[in-house]
Amino acid sequence: MTQDALADDTLPFLDVADPKFSIRSQAVLDARDASWCARTSYGLAALRYDDVQKLLRHPKLRQGSYRWPAHNGVTGLFARWWEAMLLSQEGDTHARLRRMANPAFSPKLISSLIPKFQALANMLIDQFAAKGECDFIADFTEPYATGVICDLLGLPFERWRELADIAGEMGLALGVTFKQDLPTIEAATQRIFDFAEELVAERRARPTEDFIGMLIQANADQDQLSDQELLDMIVLAIFGGIDTTRNQLGLAMATFIETPAQLTLLSERPELGRAAVEEVMRVRPTVTWVTREAVEDFIYNDTLIPAGTTLHLFSQSATSDPEIFPNPGFDITAERKPHFGFGGGTHHCLGHFIARGDMTEALKLLAQRIKNPRFNGPVEWLPDSGNTGAIRMPIAFDPA
Amino acid sequence: MKVHVDMSICLLHGQCVIAAPEIFSFDDAGGLVWVAEIDEVQAGDAEAASDACPEQAIVLG
Ligand code: HEM
Ligand code: SF4
Repeated sequence: MTQDALADDTLPFLDVADPKFSIRSQAVLDARDASWCARTSYGLAALRYDDVQKLLRHPKLRQGSYRWPAHNGVTGLFARWWEAMLLSQEGDTHARLRRMANPAFSPKLISSLIPKFQALANMLIDQFAAKGECDFIADFTEPYATGVICDLLGLPFERWRELADIAGEMGLALGVTFKQDLPTIEAATQRIFDFAEELVAERRARPTEDFIGMLIQANADQDQLSDQELLDMIVLAIFGGIDTTRNQLGLAMATFIETPAQLTLLSERPELGRAAVEEVMRVRPTVTWVTREAVEDFIYNDTLIPAGTTLHLFSQSATSDPEIFPNPGFDITAERKPHFGFGGGTHHCLGHFIARGDMTEALKLLAQRIKNPRFNGPVEWLPDSGNTGAIRMPIAFDPA
Repeated sequence: MKVHVDMSICLLHGQCVIAAPEIFSFDDAGGLVWVAEIDEVQAGDAEAASDACPEQAIVLG
């Protein structure tokens, strides 16, 4: 007989809502040994490689964060955008929006931005290289991640602080204090839409062939991409591209500090830059899980998953699964199966060509210009679950 | 134009099915199927699918 998973107390339990919960804890490793899934404070968690891979594209699951504002009893500007944007959509609407956005995110368009990413990374490193120390987040990953979005939108780098602040304030919506922070979040949402509107008006007056230009072309057919959907997409690119990249690059530095020989290797063989990005995202993905929701009752691995169940797919534990990765240590030269740091299936990260491109350039240049990096004071971390990363990371290094 | 998918790297994300549903689809078992020989009018769609594939598994020729 198939058991209802949520009521099956032989399954391990993980208290993922506890801010002290760590996705890399022994409890998660033990749970992964014991079973393909665990019960959690929200529903279920898939723990192993093969199951995460299958469930990422399972037809009975939909993206699971769309109800977040409603769940918090929140309505307004932010909630309207959140529920309408690409990630919250499924089926035909999702496919239409994604088709319309694809040309703006195409690999050809992105590769034309690579020299800009290199110039940006060098300019930021120039500012602290001689000092032999920096806060890697405030001085590099944050301005870099935001500067990349400025390049994408065709804005001067000088506007990065403004964008970073707006994205940070909007990002409060993802935290546990969503409701208390609502006035700040609503004001930031208004500002980001004003910003997007200004950008679109400018490019309508002077057409371009860049990211915004591509979206404006798609918007020529209102049935395919309405004015509102155009703005919603620009806002999503800003919102979805900044913190993720900031966090992922911070995790990369932490990983290299823990395994210095790998950084030396990268400095000697810059062609490993892309492989380094993939390997960092396998061992320390910033998006440690993605959220899905069962659209109807279904049976998976002899387990009944009732409609409405929230399932967290643990990318972090899946890509350290010893069944699949017998030598799981950080090795940028190893041939690996794919990681899930960009999710997978219909919602696979739309910005991955950008993120892969900008992080490859950043890691290559950092490896060349910063030798022997080490922590130089306490690192401040976000909780080690959900979307994780460092918010302060003092480092010292030997200038090259 | 010939369409080929390198199934050793395809991860079945289905982005090609979203980008060009007339060329790519999933069968009942969840496997990817595609039209191997397309005419010129479909070339743009095939290129859009090839660009959208996260694994860059689609080869056109
Ligand atoms: C290292 C950086 C990044 C990481 C780790 C990352 C990760 C992810 C993940 C895991 C998802 C899937 C979420 C889910 O299935 O629930 C996603 C979706 C998405 N990402 Fe990224 N992302 C990054 C950078 C970017 C950038 C730079 C952009 C845009 C400029 C972007 C735009 C998007 C969009 C639009 C979606 C929604 C796709 C859809 O629903 O079809 N991301 N990202
Ligand atoms: S988009 Fe690429 S990886 Fe995904 S199913 Fe199509 S060919 Fe395979």
